[in-house]
This record gives sequence, C-alpha cells and structure tokens, in this order.
Amino acid sequence: MTDCLLSARGIAKSFDQNRVLHGVDFDISAGQVVALLGENGAGKSTFVNILSGALPRDGGTIRWAGAETVFRDTRAALDAGIIHIHQELSLISSLSVMENLFIGDYMTGKSGLIDRKALAAKARELLARVGAAHIDPRVEAGSLSTAEQQIVEIAKALARNARLLILDEPTASLTPHEAEALFAIVRDLRANGVAIIFISHRFDEVFMISDRVVVLRDGRVVGDRPVAETTRAGIIADMTGRAFTFDALDAPDIAADAPIRLKAEAIADKGRVGPVSFTLRKGEILGIFGLVGAGRTELLELLCGIRPLAAGTISRPDGVVPANSTEAWRSGLALLPEGRKTNGILPSLSLAENVAVAKRQKSGGILDLGAEKSLFAKFRDALGIVSEGPDQPIRRLSGGNQQKVIFARCLASEPDILFLDEPTHGVDVRTKADIYKQIQDLAKKGMSVIFVSSELPEVLALASTVMVLSRGRQTLLAPNQGMTENDVLTAAFAQA
Amino acid sequence: MTAATVVRFVRTRREATVLAMLILVFIGLTFASEFFLTGRNLSNVSRQISVVGIVALGQALVIIAGGIDLSVGSVIGLSAVTSAIVSATTGMPSLGIAGAIGIGMAIGFANGVLITKLRINPFITTLGTLSIARGAALLITNGNPQRFDNWAAFLGYGKIGDVPVQFILLVVLTILVWLFATRTRWGRNVYAVGDNARAARLAGIDVARTRILVFTVSGSLAGLGGLLLGGMLTNANPNLGLGYELDVIAAVILGGVALSGGRGSIGGVVIGAALIGLLRNAFVLLNVSGYWQTITIGLVVILAVGADSLNRRSEED
Repeated sequence: MTDCLLSARGIAKSFDQNRVLHGVDFDISAGQVVALLGENGAGKSTFVNILSGALPRDGGTIRWAGAETVFRDTRAALDAGIIHIHQELSLISSLSVMENLFIGDYMTGKSGLIDRKALAAKARELLARVGAAHIDPRVEAGSLSTAEQQIVEIAKALARNARLLILDEPTASLTPHEAEALFAIVRDLRANGVAIIFISHRFDEVFMISDRVVVLRDGRVVGDRPVAETTRAGIIADMTGRAFTFDALDAPDIAADAPIRLKAEAIADKGRVGPVSFTLRKGEILGIFGLVGAGRTELLELLCGIRPLAAGTISRPDGVVPANSTEAWRSGLALLPEGRKTNGILPSLSLAENVAVAKRQKSGGILDLGAEKSLFAKFRDALGIVSEGPDQPIRRLSGGNQQKVIFARCLASEPDILFLDEPTHGVDVRTKADIYKQIQDLAKKGMSVIFVSSELPEVLALASTVMVLSRGRQTLLAPNQGMTENDVLTAAFAQA
Repeated sequence: MTAATVVRFVRTRREATVLAMLILVFIGLTFASEFFLTGRNLSNVSRQISVVGIVALGQALVIIAGGIDLSVGSVIGLSAVTSAIVSATTGMPSLGIAGAIGIGMAIGFANGVLITKLRINPFITTLGTLSIARGAALLITNGNPQRFDNWAAFLGYGKIGDVPVQFILLVVLTILVWLFATRTRWGRNVYAVGDNARAARLAGIDVARTRILVFTVSGSLAGLGGLLLGGMLTNANPNLGLGYELDVIAAVILGGVALSGGRGSIGGVVIGAALIGLLRNAFVLLNVSGYWQTITIGLVVILAVGADSLNRRSEED
C-alpha cells in the first residue's frame, strides 16, 4: 500500500515477561475508518498507545506519511497529527472550553496576555466545524455533559490538525442519540481526509461507521477485512478462538436441594446495574461475565453493602443484609476488589498485616501478632506466596504475589461467600492456575463463590452457573453445562 | 543484628537520623555548657519536651491516619482557661481537670465528625476550629489571664523528686499510645486507613470511626497539654499555645511520620519532640538570640526530612 497514512509492521511489546503484542501489522489510509476489536486484554490499548507515542515498542516499524518514524513521546505524535482520545476524557474541568481547546497555545499577542476575544472566536469556529455551535466556549468544561465533552475533545484534536484520530470506546457513556451525533462528526472528518481508528465493543456501531474491521486476539491480528465481508458471527469467532485452553476443570454439580446461601430478587442500584435476580447455593461458583461498564463491579458492591440498594431484596439464611463493608466481612462475606493497587493492597503495611486486616475486624481489640505471622505462614505455603517474610511491605512484591496476599486476606476471614472481582487481572499464567485451583477446592469444601471476569474462557472453565450482564441488565443466567462462548458473547452484546 | 542491618536501619528510618542528631546535640551541650547536666536544667528540659511530646502523640495518630490537626494550639489555650475557670467557680480542681480534657475531646470529636460526615478536608476543618477555639478562649476570659494555682495545676508545675509530673505523664502516655498503635486492632486500623483508605474500607475497616477516633484522641491530649501548660505557669492565658501546632507537627515529622499517612512510629515522635526541646534549651544555655532558635528548628526539619527523602529515593530506584 503506497497511499497509506500509517503503516505498522511487526509491532511487538512485552510487560515484564508477559508478551502483549506479537508482531502486529496494521495499515490505515487517509479518510478511512478502521474498527479495532478484541476482548479485554487482547492488546488493543497497548497497540494504540504505541501508535500515539505513549508507550515505547520493543520491535517493529512504523511508517508515517511514507517515512519511517519513531515517536519518542505523545508530544512528538501530537505534533505529527496523531491524536488519541481516551475513554476517560482528559479535559480540565475547571478551565473554560476555549482554554481547553487551545491549551498550551493560547495565541498570546505582543503584550503576552491572552486575547480572550480572539480565543473565543477561534473556539466558536472549531466548535461549529464539529457541529457543536451551541456550546459556549467560555463556560467551564466540567459543566458540559459527557457527550459534549467528547465533542470538545474532537474539536481540540482539530485544533491540532489531526490526521489520525484514535477514539477509544467513544460511545461507552453516550446515549444512542448522542452517539448518532458523534458518528455524524466522524463521517464528516472522514470526508475531510482524517483517518480514524475506532475501538468499540458495540458491533452495531462498528457496522454503521467503519470501512474495515481489524480483530486482535492475544496480541495478534486474527482478522482484517473490509466491513462488507464481515459478519457479527465472524467477528465473535475471531475474537474468541482460544489461545491456550484451560484444563477442563470439572465444575461441581450443585444439588438442587443444597442449602441457599444468598438470594437476590430484582436488586438494582440507582441506574448503573439491575434488576438482577439469582440464588446462590452452598458450594456453587457463580461466574459473572460482561464487558467493561456492564455493571459487574457495581453488582458485587450492591451485594456487599458498599453500594446502596435502590430496589429489590437480598436474603440470607441468617437474615443479615450488610449496610457497609465492615458488616459484610463480619457476616461471613469476603471481597477481593478489582484494582489491586488502588483498592486492594495496604502498600506500606507488612504482608502479615495485609492478610490479617479483615479477620481482625471480627475479633477483639488486642492483637496476637505471633498468631498473625503464623496465619501468614499458613497461606504463604498454601498459595505459594514468594516473599522475604511476614514483615516485608506488600508494595515490594510482584503483582501476582500481591494478588495472592489479598486472596489470603479473604480466606483468612473464613467466609461463607467469597466475592472475587477480576481475581486474575494482571497476573501471570501460573498464578492464574493456582488461583483457579484454590477456587475449585474451596467450592468443593462448601464455600460459595461469586466471581467477575472479563475473560470468557475463565468463566466457562470455572463457573457452575454463568450470569451475563449487558449495560447493567442481566441477559443470561444458566448452568454452565453445555454453554458455549457464543452463547455468552451474544448475551453480553445483547441490547437488553 | 549485624553491622549491615544497623547501617540499613539508620539509612532507612528517619527516627534513627533524628536520634543521632539528638545524641550529638546532647553530647555537644554537655561540653559546651556546665549548666546543662544539672538537675535543675534537665528538669526544665524535660518540662519543655513534655507538653510538645504529649500533644504530638495525638497529632502523630492523626497524621498516620492521613489527616492533620491544626487546632491543637488553640485547644491548649481554650482548655487552660476552661480548667482555671471551672475549678475556680466550682471550687473543685478535679472538675477543672475533667473540663480541660473534656473540652479538648469535644473539639477533637467535632473535627472528626466534620471531616468524615460533612467531608470537609482536615486542613480546612481544623483551620476553622483553630480560629473558633482561640476566639472562644478570648471571649470567655475577655482576654484576661486567669489565676490557676490549685492542685489541678500541680500536674503542670509539680515534681516528684526531681522529676516533673508532666514528664512522668509523657512517659506513661507514650507507652499507652505505643501499645495502642502496635498491639490493638484500632491502632493498626489507623495505619491502614492512612496507607490506603479505599482498600482499608473494602477490607472491612470502619474508616469514618477510625478517623473520628484519632481526632478525638488528638483533641483530648491537646486539652491535657493546655492543663499542664497553664499549671506550669500557674496562670491560664487565653493566648496560651499560640503557634504550638507548628512545633507539634515538626516533632511528628522529625519523628519519621510520613505526612502522606500510613507510616510512622510512636517512639520516633517522642525523639522528635525531645530534639526540639533540647534545641530550644541549647539556645538559652548558649545565650544565643531566640530568633536563631526559630530559624534553626526550621532548618533541622528540612534537613532531617530532606536527608530521609534522598535516602528513600536511592533505595527505591
């Protein structure tokens, strides 16, 4: 392809020992919209971050506008006209729209002062180009709706003469009507020769606006076709073909008369998730699948009393419905939260304390530090935690070992129901296998487990019952027997 | 302990640097002034250390929990005059003691509730109560110092043998707070909350209650500090403790407590308070202008924390 605006060949990238991209080839021409699809963790974000200069690549070449190029940082990529609009918008909410549009280049006059009138006029011109003449450039960016902020981000990209625009799930938080307006802008940009990489989990949108569909799986391109030759089923097949198979872990059969541990009836919060209904029995492993933003974490928070229940009822045999996390742990629930660094570890505290912290809240006030160290030793052996000893601060451990410590924290509190939110996120394959085995052994001993995962094979390998959430709604709840990846994905993409 | 672990300890723990400074100043003063090692002077120094040290114990818990309490200086003033007035009007010094600690406790509790329930930033909340408590002290006394010479004041001026009563209080309270911080669930929760409040909450810790607790302790100890300071002077001035929060925070930081929360030792805080007390004494003994004293304390804080931060960086990289 000679008329390619950007042509990437053999892009490779590893984090520690973990290879995320294995030689990705990718082309895009001016005036083309390419949809980039793949499951979570397939390498989409890493790839576009390399294109936009946010991450260095380990191997491969990038030709930009015909010349081989290395973008050292995002600044260099920005100057070339590659603009990446992240899912979390990056406007500075306390500055005005026009200041955001021209941030870093306020067009000061001879006086060195900002000419607010000229700035406002230029801003209006830009906003008009993206069909948002109704936005007053002088208002604070934070006062705009998410959709409006998205449009301002695009206007900001135009202010920088964007030639390649990367949109990362731009419609995730937009209403259908707002999304439609966004697509009108995208089509307009395409007509003006801007190339667009469009990352989305919504197939209908992909078919609506893209010219080509590229599917990544486990860091490799597994499909690259014009949209006319693509079907929904074809994309799902491309996305899920397995990289490594899990051992067929035999999900335990749950007797229909096993005692009920928890029953949820039409529970919902204020708008993010629900209504959801299910029954959890002793020894049952309920796997919850859904795309990012489907309300999975919110559902766990509802069940653990961290998020207020707006509708529906939760019942448990002992009658306790926790109103906060302290009561949840005390009543026999345990939660391994998503986001190890921000929500899991107590970074400066020792390994022994990180394990004991939740159990302590159930006991008296005076601590037995010796017993806490033995407790740590017990889990260190059971889970294979590699460390220098119980007094080592947890921040010095590798991610996988940190996750095991948090897992140990849950087990140490001897719960009836274990809640795991992405328990294997960012851990290596070996640790994953360890964690799977633990979960199964615990269930066999009668613990009930509810886990959330965005890795489909994990859900199908581990769960005795599968629940799927799509945009907060429960679109599937069924025993795992005979369930296929296709069933689950279809439910996950369902327009409930 | 091998030599290497000792070196590592000194290099990685700020309180070790400060302890070394403390020993140096102590030895230096022994040679520089013949009055330093006299019973009378040491008793004076221990008094100077006591109030800062006692109030710093509470402040340390607040800072370890990720907060800050600016109101302690004003609480000292308010509790001193409260104690003097209550014991004078009721004729019962024991009520004066209760009043001093009670008013401190109430302000600390109010700080904690405002911070956790109304979610006002601790800096702003306690800046507000700093002003309110000082204003209240001036208002109820009309700005006039109160006589304070009953037996409640004995806690401040009294001695047992050559040892000031307030120094004994400091030692006892240090042991109690140290036990609290290292051996009780609530004490360890303080560290967990300061280290990562979100993770602490998700692990079942009652974060709001923990924060209210540390502010209440800090207020109570500042109340006791006011009683001691007023008693020591046998005169409760509504302006007592003005600017004290800065010495107290300096002692806590010198003691190795991280301002970002989650890290610090109670022993270190007392060492920090001792260094500040000793430096103040040094200037008196050596007859150097009091203005230099203020400058030096500022320099020592920057030096100690700067050295610590350099060490830490070289260790992390």
